Amino acid sequence: MTKSAAVLRLAGRRLAASLPALLGVVVFTFVLMRVLPGDPAVFFASGPSAGQKEIEDIRHQMGLDRSIPVQLAFYLRDIGTGSLGHSMTTGQPVLKDLEERLPASLELTFAALVLALGLAIPMGVLAALNPGSTTDHAVRFLCTLGVCVPTFVSGLLLIYVFYYLAGIAPDPTGRIDIFASQPPSHTGFLVIDSLIAGDFDAARSAASQLVLPAVTMALFVLAPLARMTRASMLAVLGSDFIRTARAMGLSRGRIVFVYALRNAALPVLTIAGIVFSTMLGANVLVEKVFSWPGVAAYALDALLATDYAPVQGFVLLMAVIFVFVNLLVDVLYGLADPRVNAA
Amino acid sequence: MSASGQTAHALYVLRANRISSAAAVLAVLLVLTAVFGPMLTQYDPLASDVAHALQPPDANHWAGTDQLGRDVLARVIAAGRLDYAIAAAAVFLSFVIGAVIGGACGFRGGAVDRWVGRIVDVLMAFPLFVLAMALVAALGNRVENIVTATAIINLPFYIRFARAEVAVRRQAGWVEAASASGNGPMRIVLGFLLPNVLPAMSVQISLNLGWAILNAAGLSFIGLGVHPPTPEWGIMVAEGARFITVGHWWLVAAPGLALMLSVLCFNLLGDGLRDMLDPRMRT
Amino acid sequence: MSGLARHLGVCAAILLMASPHAQAQTRAETLRQVTGNTVNTLDPNLPGSTREAFGMSMNVYDRLVSFERKPNGKGFIFDFDHLRPELAKSYEISPDGLTITFKLRPDATWHDGTPVTADDIKWSLDRVVSAKSLGPPQMQTGSLTSSSQFTIIDPMTVQVKLDKPDRLALPNLATVYAIMVNSKVARAHATDDDPWALQWLKDHEAGSGAYTVENFKPGENTILRRSETWKGSKDGSLPFFKRVIQQTVPEAATRANLLAKGDADISIDLQSSDVLEIEKAGKLKVISTPQFNAFTMVAFNTKVKPFDNLKVRQAITAALPYEDMFKAAIFGRGAKLFGADWTTSPPTGLFPQPMPAHTDLVAAKQLLTEAGFPDGFDTSFTYSVSSAQINDPVAALIKESLGKIGVRVDVQKVPDAQFGTLITEKKLAMFTDTAISWMASTDYFFRNFFTGNQRWNYASWNNQELVDTAQAARFEPDPVKYEVLAKKLITITAAEAPEAFLWQPSQDAVVLPTIEGYTYWFHRQVDYRDMSRK
Repeated sequence: MTKSAAVLRLAGRRLAASLPALLGVVVFTFVLMRVLPGDPAVFFASGPSAGQKEIEDIRHQMGLDRSIPVQLAFYLRDIGTGSLGHSMTTGQPVLKDLEERLPASLELTFAALVLALGLAIPMGVLAALNPGSTTDHAVRFLCTLGVCVPTFVSGLLLIYVFYYLAGIAPDPTGRIDIFASQPPSHTGFLVIDSLIAGDFDAARSAASQLVLPAVTMALFVLAPLARMTRASMLAVLGSDFIRTARAMGLSRGRIVFVYALRNAALPVLTIAGIVFSTMLGANVLVEKVFSWPGVAAYALDALLATDYAPVQGFVLLMAVIFVFVNLLVDVLYGLADPRVNAA
Repeated sequence: MSASGQTAHALYVLRANRISSAAAVLAVLLVLTAVFGPMLTQYDPLASDVAHALQPPDANHWAGTDQLGRDVLARVIAAGRLDYAIAAAAVFLSFVIGAVIGGACGFRGGAVDRWVGRIVDVLMAFPLFVLAMALVAALGNRVENIVTATAIINLPFYIRFARAEVAVRRQAGWVEAASASGNGPMRIVLGFLLPNVLPAMSVQISLNLGWAILNAAGLSFIGLGVHPPTPEWGIMVAEGARFITVGHWWLVAAPGLALMLSVLCFNLLGDGLRDMLDPRMRT
Repeated sequence: MSGLARHLGVCAAILLMASPHAQAQTRAETLRQVTGNTVNTLDPNLPGSTREAFGMSMNVYDRLVSFERKPNGKGFIFDFDHLRPELAKSYEISPDGLTITFKLRPDATWHDGTPVTADDIKWSLDRVVSAKSLGPPQMQTGSLTSSSQFTIIDPMTVQVKLDKPDRLALPNLATVYAIMVNSKVARAHATDDDPWALQWLKDHEAGSGAYTVENFKPGENTILRRSETWKGSKDGSLPFFKRVIQQTVPEAATRANLLAKGDADISIDLQSSDVLEIEKAGKLKVISTPQFNAFTMVAFNTKVKPFDNLKVRQAITAALPYEDMFKAAIFGRGAKLFGADWTTSPPTGLFPQPMPAHTDLVAAKQLLTEAGFPDGFDTSFTYSVSSAQINDPVAALIKESLGKIGVRVDVQKVPDAQFGTLITEKKLAMFTDTAISWMASTDYFFRNFFTGNQRWNYASWNNQELVDTAQAARFEPDPVKYEVLAKKLITITAAEAPEAFLWQPSQDAVVLPTIEGYTYWFHRQVDYRDMSRK
C-alpha cells in the first residue's frame, strides 16, 4: 500500500472517530443553553409595550413551548437538513451569519498566526542555538510578557497609541475602511479578494485594518510557539544525524536552517494547529475591541442575549474546525514523518 | 536521584536561570503582599469618598482614587487575595479531579478509560473561553462559579496528562512490587503513581495559575465577573482600560501591573520548573 | 455549496450596482454614526427589534403624522404637544374627537416609484393593529385596536374612527410602529402563514421615507441613501446628507476616539466619563438633553416581605445616597428626580419631576425600627450587565449606605435576558432600571409603570386609588381637571414610595462641530433627516 493511501485511511478513521465527540458537543451546548437563567422570549419581547401575549408568541416562534428533549430532537433534525436555526439578535439564519462572519475570523486568525510564527520561529531558533545565554533568557522573557497582558488591554493600548496618539493606524472599526467599497467576494478574505479585483487601495486598506488586531493576538500566542521551536530545535540539534552532518563539515547555516529546522518543524506544526483552533474560538475579546465582525463576537452577543441558536451554531462550527485542523496536522505529520507509514 | 541531589540540582538550575529565580522571589513577595497587604494600608477598599473621586496618585493615595473615591492601592491589594484564591482554587480543583480520574483511567484502562476519553474529547473540542462564558452565565456570576468554570475548562488537560503519565508507569517494576506487596489499586495510584507524576504536573499547575487569573479578567471585561463592590483585578483593569483615553491612567496602571506581574511570575516559574525537570537541561 | 455561490453572486451584483454611486458622494455629504448597538430588523414592529431598528425606521419609513420639534440648548427636542402631517397632506379631527380624517399627498410615491394610495394606507393601518407584532399593544394605548376603525373614503382620503375621544390616538400614529408600507410590494411577499409579510420586511424595506437602504448588515453596519423623491419634510426639501452610515463599534472608548479624531460624525452612546472629558477639551460639540420621557429608579417589590411594609420602603428611600450616586455614577449628567421641597402636592402635574426624597440616615433608621427591623435585614439589589457602567458604582454606593442602617445588600449583576425574565416573573426584591415612555403624558406613565400585572409595573404595585385616577385622567379632555388628576397621581406615588426616583439620565449626543440639527426624539435615536454639515 502506498503511503498517501495509508494516510488517507488514517484520516477517514480519525474523522469517523470524531463524530461522537461532535454529537457530544452539540448535545452539551444545547443543554447548557437551556440551563441559562434567562427567558429569551421575555428578552426579545421587551419592547416598550410588549405584554404576555407577545412573549407567548415569541416562545412559540422559537419553539420554546415544547419540551427540551423534543426541542433537541428538532434541533438535531435541523442540523441534519443543514439548518442551524435563526438568530433573534440579527434576525438572520445562523448559517448565513456564520458563513458571512467566518472569513473575517479566519482572515484575522491566519494573519495573527503567520505573524506569530514569523516572530516565534526565529526567536526560538536563536534561543536554541545559545541555550542558557542572555539571548535565551531575553527571548523567554519577551514571549512570556506577551501572555501576561489580557488581550483587551493590549488591544485598547495599541489603539490608543497607534490610532489616537500617533495616528498611524486606520480607525479600528472592522475589516476595511467604511468609506471604501468592498471588493466582490471570492474567498471571503478581503485582502485576497481586493487583489483579485485588482483594487490595490482596498487591499491596502484591508491589510492595514488587520495589523493591530493581528498583533494583539500574535503577542498572546508567541510564548507557546517560541517555546516549542526552542525545545524541538534543541532536541534535533542534539541528535545523531546533526552530529554526523557537523562531522562531515557542512556549514553551520546549512545545518541549522536546512536540516535541523526542517526536522524541528513537525512539533511546531502541531502546536500551531492547536494555537490556531484555540485562537479562533478565543478571539472574542479581540473582535469586540476592534469591532471585528467575526464569529466569536457574534456568539458572545448571542450568549448575553440568551439567543440559543447562534451560540449552538458557533460552538458546533468551532468543534468541526478543531477536528479538521487536528486532522490536517495529522495528515501533514503523516506525509512528512517517515515513521508513520503503512504497516 | 537522592533528595540532596535533587536539591543541589534545583539550586544549580536556579542559579543558572536568574529569571526563574527572580520570578520565584517575586511570586513569594506578591503572595505575601496579598496575605499581609491589608495591614500595609490605612484605607478600606470598599469605603467611598465621592468628594475625592478620580484623583491622580499623590502622597495620600499612592495609586490614586477611583470613580467613587476609593483608594486604588487598597483595592489592588484586596483584589490580590481574591484573584490568587480564585486561581488557586480553580487549579487545585482541576488538578485533584483530573489526577484522580486520569490516574484511574491510566491505571485501569478498558471501557471506563474509553468513555472518559470520549468526554475529554468533547470538552477539548469546545472553544474554551466561550465555554467558560456560557458556564458562568448559566450558573450565575459568583466567585464559586468562576472557579468552577475555570476548573472545568482546565480539566481535560489534567486528565490527559495524568492518564498518560500513569499509563507509562503502570508496568514499571516498582509498581508491580507495590502491587505484589498487597497494595490495592486505589492505594497504588494515590500513594505511588501520582506522587511520581506530580513534579511533571507542577509545570502545568504553575502555567494554569497565571492563565486562571487572565480568564477571570476576561470574564470581568464582558461583564461576567464578580459582583461589585468586590475588588478584583480583572474588573479593575477592564474598567480602567476604558478610562485610558480620558487620561485617568492610574485606574488601569496599578491593577494592570499587579495582574501582569502575577501572571508573568507564574509563567516564568512554570518555565523554570520545566527546565528543572527536563533532563536535557542537565547536560 | 450552491447557497454560498448564490450568495456570492448576489453580493457581486449588489456591488456592481452600488459601486458607481458609492463614489458619487463625497465624505462631506456622508454622515457616519458610530454606536455600540445594531439595527437588527428593518421593520420596527418585529418582536426583538432594537432601539436602533426603531430609529432607523424613522428615516426609511414615513408615518401619517410626525411630532414637531423645538429648539433646546445646542440642538432640538421633539414636541409631544404639536403634530404635523408627514405622509398625509393634512388631517382633521372632528369636533367630538371621534373621527380623524387624513388627506393624502397626490405627489407622494413609494421607493419603487409607484404612487401612495388610500389602499396602501388602509393596509398599513390594518397591519399595525393586527399583525402579531409589537404594534397592537402600543396602538391600543391610543384606542386603536381593530381594522374596522379604518375606512377608505376616496382614493386620496382615509378615515380613523374612535370609540372615545382618546388624547393619545393621533400621537400613536406618529410613533415608531405606525409605518406606512407599500402594500403592493409587501403583499407580493406575504404568505398564508405570514399575511402581513413580517418575515420579508425584516430584511427588505418598502417605504416612502427620506432614505432607502443601500446595505443592511446586522451587527456591522446599515448604510442609507437619500431618496430623491421624498415629500414628507415640513417644507418639501430633501435631507442634507446623501448617504448615512450607521456603524456598530462595541467599545465605547473606541467610539470616543473616532469622534476625537474626526473620523466619525456623531455618537449618542458614549460613556459619561468620556463625554465629560470631551466637553472639557471643547473640540467637539456635546448636545446634552435630559431624557424627559424617562426615569431611572430603584424599584421595591411591594408584593414580598419586607417591601410590602410602607415604612421599610420609606426607610430605604431615605437611606439612598442620592447626591453621591448622581455625581459618581452619571457624573451629574442628567436631571435630578430627588430633593424636591414640596410635601403635600407637587407644583405641576408633569411627570417625571423631582420627588421630595432626601438622604437622611437618622430618619431612615427610625423608620426601620418602627417597621419592626431595628437590626435591619438581608436583601438583594439587582441590575443588568449592559447597564454595569452606571450601575456598578450605584450598587457599591447603595450597599455601603444601606449598610449604615443595618440593611445588608447582596449585589447581583445579571445578563440582560436574565434580568428581563426576573423582572417579568416578579422575582427581584430591589433593583434598578430606566423606564422610558414614548408618550410624555402623565397618565400614560402611571398606567404603564404603576398599574397592572405586567413587566413594566416594576414594583408590582396595586393601589386602587391610583388605578382609578389614572383611568379618569386618560379620558379627561379638560386640561385644568387633568392637571388636578395628574398632581394626585404624583402625590399618591410620593406617599406610597413603590419606587425611589433617582434621575433622568442625559442623552449626550457628541457631534463634530460642523454637524447641526440634532434632535432628541422620543425613540432616543438619531433622526438623520434634519441634520446637516456646515
